[in-house]
Amino acid sequence: MSQPSAEVAADFKDALQDLKINSRPEISNLTLIAKENTEYAQAISRELENHIRTTRPEWKLPALYVLDSIVKNVGTPYTVYLGRNLYRTFMDAYTLMDPATRKAMEGLLKTWKQPVPESMDMRPVFSPEVTRDIENALIKFRTIAVQQQALSQKPGIQHNMPARPMPSVPWRNTPTPPQNATRFAAANDPRLRQVTLPYGQYPPSATPQIQSQPSISFYPQPPQAIDVEGLKASLSKLITSTQAAWALSPVDVAIQQKLKALLDLQMILNTQTLPPEQLKAAADQIQAMSPPPAPATAFTPPASIPPPVIASPQQNTSPLFPPSSTAVNIGQILANARPPVPPSPAPAATTPSLADMLRRVSSPMNSSSTPASVAPFYPPPFSAAPLPMAIPVPTAQSPALAPASATTVNLAQLLGQFSKSAATPMAPVPQPHSSFPQSQPQSSAAPLSTGDVKWLLNALKAQNLLPPGPPMSAQATPLSSEPMTRQVSANTGVHTDVDLTTASMKQPRFHLITKLYEAYPNICATCGRRFESSLEGKERKARHMDWHFKVKDPDVAKRGIHRSWYISEKEWIEYREVDEASPEQAVNGVTSATAAPKKETKDRYVPVPTDAALVHAPCPICQEKFEPQWLVEANDFVWMDAVKVNGKVYHATCWEEYSKGSSLAAPSTPDSVLGKRKAEDSIGSGKKVRAY
Amino acid sequence: MISLPGLHLSNPTPEPPSTAESIVTRTQDLLACSEYRFEVPFTRTLTIRLLTGTAEFFGTELAPSSTYTFTGTKGAVYTWRGCKLEIGGLAESEYTSEETQMMSYANAHFALEKLRERSVQTGELGPRILVVGPENAGKTSVVKILTSYAVKAGRQPVVVNLDPRQGMLSVPGSVTAAAFSSIIDIEDSWGSSPISGPSPVPVKMPLVYHYGIANPDEGSLFRPLVTRMALAVTSRLEDDKPSRQAGFIIDTSGAISHGKGGVYENIDHIISEFSVNVLFVLGSERLYSDLARKYSNRPTEEAVSVVRLDKSGGCVDRDEAYMKQLRQAQIRAYFFGHGENTLGPHSHMADYDELNIFRIVDAASDANSSFRPGNDDDDVYGSTNNIYTKATPSPMIQNSLLAVTTAAATDSQEVIRDSSVRGYIYVADVDDVKKKVRLLSPQPGQTPSNAIILGSFPEDVPGLVS
Ligand SMILES: Nc1ncnc2c1ncn2[C@@H]1O[C@H](COP(=O)(O)OP(=O)(O)OP(=O)(O)O)[C@@H](O)[C@H]1O
Ligand SMILES: [Mg+2]
Ligand SMILES: [Zn+2]
Ligand SMILES: [Zn+2]
Repeated sequence: MSQPSAEVAADFKDALQDLKINSRPEISNLTLIAKENTEYAQAISRELENHIRTTRPEWKLPALYVLDSIVKNVGTPYTVYLGRNLYRTFMDAYTLMDPATRKAMEGLLKTWKQPVPESMDMRPVFSPEVTRDIENALIKFRTIAVQQQALSQKPGIQHNMPARPMPSVPWRNTPTPPQNATRFAAANDPRLRQVTLPYGQYPPSATPQIQSQPSISFYPQPPQAIDVEGLKASLSKLITSTQAAWALSPVDVAIQQKLKALLDLQMILNTQTLPPEQLKAAADQIQAMSPPPAPATAFTPPASIPPPVIASPQQNTSPLFPPSSTAVNIGQILANARPPVPPSPAPAATTPSLADMLRRVSSPMNSSSTPASVAPFYPPPFSAAPLPMAIPVPTAQSPALAPASATTVNLAQLLGQFSKSAATPMAPVPQPHSSFPQSQPQSSAAPLSTGDVKWLLNALKAQNLLPPGPPMSAQATPLSSEPMTRQVSANTGVHTDVDLTTASMKQPRFHLITKLYEAYPNICATCGRRFESSLEGKERKARHMDWHFKVKDPDVAKRGIHRSWYISEKEWIEYREVDEASPEQAVNGVTSATAAPKKETKDRYVPVPTDAALVHAPCPICQEKFEPQWLVEANDFVWMDAVKVNGKVYHATCWEEYSKGSSLAAPSTPDSVLGKRKAEDSIGSGKKVRAY
Repeated sequence: MISLPGLHLSNPTPEPPSTAESIVTRTQDLLACSEYRFEVPFTRTLTIRLLTGTAEFFGTELAPSSTYTFTGTKGAVYTWRGCKLEIGGLAESEYTSEETQMMSYANAHFALEKLRERSVQTGELGPRILVVGPENAGKTSVVKILTSYAVKAGRQPVVVNLDPRQGMLSVPGSVTAAAFSSIIDIEDSWGSSPISGPSPVPVKMPLVYHYGIANPDEGSLFRPLVTRMALAVTSRLEDDKPSRQAGFIIDTSGAISHGKGGVYENIDHIISEFSVNVLFVLGSERLYSDLARKYSNRPTEEAVSVVRLDKSGGCVDRDEAYMKQLRQAQIRAYFFGHGENTLGPHSHMADYDELNIFRIVDAASDANSSFRPGNDDDDVYGSTNNIYTKATPSPMIQNSLLAVTTAAATDSQEVIRDSSVRGYIYVADVDDVKKKVRLLSPQPGQTPSNAIILGSFPEDVPGLVS
């Protein structure tokens, strides 16, 4: 029965090893293991901490969600064991994360300062001592980041590329170590080095270089003839596999962006003839973004490619924590190694760089975006978690329309960006981020994190890769829709930013699809209707399921059912839809006793109770049972001639008789609803029909 | 089958599939953003069950592991995230496609959501959407997708069907409107109007008028009906808040998109009567540019966003034979129900003089309407007595479908025209000797004394009652 502690811990560890994405069932499973083995809580906690510390950066967040789920769903003793090292567990991971993941972590922290939602226990998840230390550390961390940003914006240092990594990670041996870095225990933790070594093997290159016009001489080899059809074929393969990846992690913005970029590239290839250099660049990117044939080759750049050290001027410091997958690394190397082709004629030095513009425009937007929305992670523990990652993206889109003249970006680089963010399924959402732009380890992803294909389209247009004007141009607005657009823009919803124009309809916006699915995670298995995961959503679903149960009543089929007459124009205008998932409402001729002239007593009805005790109870006065019948207006089975008084159901006529006879006023307003019968009900009884 | 007094009624819908056929199932994997397209004739059934992943049928999500049965259907199961389907039965044609227009239709939905959100905030009317395009461009499919997505987002859009060739929640020949607050039935086109018992998919409450002619461009009835429908829908939206916010979506017949020399009188009429502010043009480049030009210079208050949507490659041209079967199936379903939802209609005898039948004056044979001098538009609304002719029952009306209006037989022709429909009755038999007709009625009761409309469309349905 009782396993030795080591064995349980090993099982738990095994299950953890498999957790690479934010997978609800896996996290549930791990939580369950923890719950069923609270006697081994200490060992399990230790395993979890170890795992978070040692696993690859992109797998840390899912593991942190396990921690979150355990402390919220199981609670003690895990809160005690995990609380002891929480500072370290949290901060060690935090420093390694990209901004978006940090945001997610900050969201988690926020929920830990509060009681578990819907719980009777009003104490916060973790004690304030624990969370306060972390918060203080985060404040310092941010301060450093801001200082660094200020530094980077001094004149003279201009980056051609948006937000390429500045000396990254203030915790480590960067050329310009942040002053306060060593104050954090995590910074000197030898394990950190250990952890990151496999990923940090690229020699950090020098400090940011002053921008210079890239020279064509860097180009490793003359462009060769490219098989365009082959290129298209591998591109569509790549699109398919990316779609599959997106299907697995529909809320992963990085994948969405990659998909968009690929689809755009496909459009370009299908509609234009590219010069050979650009074709080559595209081909290389596609190759780089495609899964490598074997892992062994993954780290070996093709011989013809110069090492990253002599990369284009856009390349600053190599990331200390390079992207997580091998394919990505190649893509990046390729992208960095390749000078822009052809060199942009734009006098880039005199105009603000795209990087700067992006940074500027994106700063005000993200501060309010993520953390709050991460909070609803509980409950249910996992359903809502991915959403915040998806949501912030569209927020940053429109302002990112940098003037095309400012870009000196080339196609290869653009795609390099995407390839970077691409192959990391669990990759934190790249997101323009003012708080930590410099310390962002994977900041090459940042510019595209604006998540907007417009940005790409614009950049491509700058390369004359896209024809100006509709339907391709993101800015094209058919004349006819201008007033509408103007009208609407004032109230543009943050998340729904789709203009009603022909051009806008053609842009892929995969991130919005979550609003049709993940936004309502709770699906009715009977009919496919979806509900929110909120408390209200649960209640609605419960009522909805009751309704399903009722309409399945086997007796119903035995009764003769026929089509009803349509309601009249006037009735239709006054009709209000009845949603079986909503609480009982007084609608459709059904009025409260006070509001309207009293309906015939026998026309009162109550919905057939779902309560088993009530459903078989006869009228307490005459002892007769109630007959269920279907009432169209109520969209429900009802008992006609019925009232519910103080939790019991009486015949309305019996009740009226009774309360008259007893000369007592009814104890309370009957909590029934009044309704009128439909004409069709009286047809059956042989009465003259009012009208058809 | 419910026993019917005095009549041997049977529901001639196709036999349930033989067990052998239904047992043979196969699985079909669908990549993300692709769809499984199929055509099933009326003589067969195809079952589809979602095994893993998520999938939708014209925007309505398939419930996990429910089996859906299709017959006489051309359609597609689309998946955003990839899925595995279990398919049973034999389709007439089937294939999967990765090239769909779903992203643009979803974009259209999200653009509309923006307007609805605005309506929630300001209280003004939500989007008034009109969908036009040539035959089989996918108009109805787009209307369904937009409706499903809106319902999914918790909205309650009103859908208006102005295409008499294919009924929505009613028989062909009708024009209808209904607010959708619950999911659209996947197996049964738009779903069912109310019946006297429960239904597994919530019923919809349509408002029904009878047009009685196939082509909106014929005769003088269409525009007054549009006007009337617009009045009713607008009135409803005054106070029905959820529908007011969601706005409405109008489906139309391909016929009104043909135009005469670049003039689209019926489209113009619908736009002005319904205050349409979003116009989706499906497929036709020409139509789009004509309409975009026409509506580009309107004052801001009356601005119309003209947006072109590409036709889905999945759209199938439906020949007249199929359309006829489709119509008959709709009429049958009105009386007998759809699928397992069997209904029991009633039949009774009526004397000739009990029926107040008003036959629509056939536009084609009405020389006056074709050669109206000056093409005076007012004629359409003017008080005329040539909309209907009073008709005495005769063997001519056997097998025809009659629309029972809410108007009295003594009402003026305009009142009859503008009256909504209470239901349909079918002339099963005419005995010219005894001067009696046998009627099939959705439910028991006496012969209605109301004004009854007989049009040229839908055509006779022989053999509805055997
Ligand atoms: N993606 C698709 N895959 C398979 N079938 C489809 C698809 N889209 C539409 N169809 C089918 O094609 C036919 C035509 O589509 P639809 O009815 O939407 O066109 P329509 O423009 O409304 O036609 P009409 O002018 O006759 O009203 C229908 O049978 C529909 O079910
Ligand atoms: Mg149609
Ligand atoms: Zn349901
Ligand atoms: Zn009683």
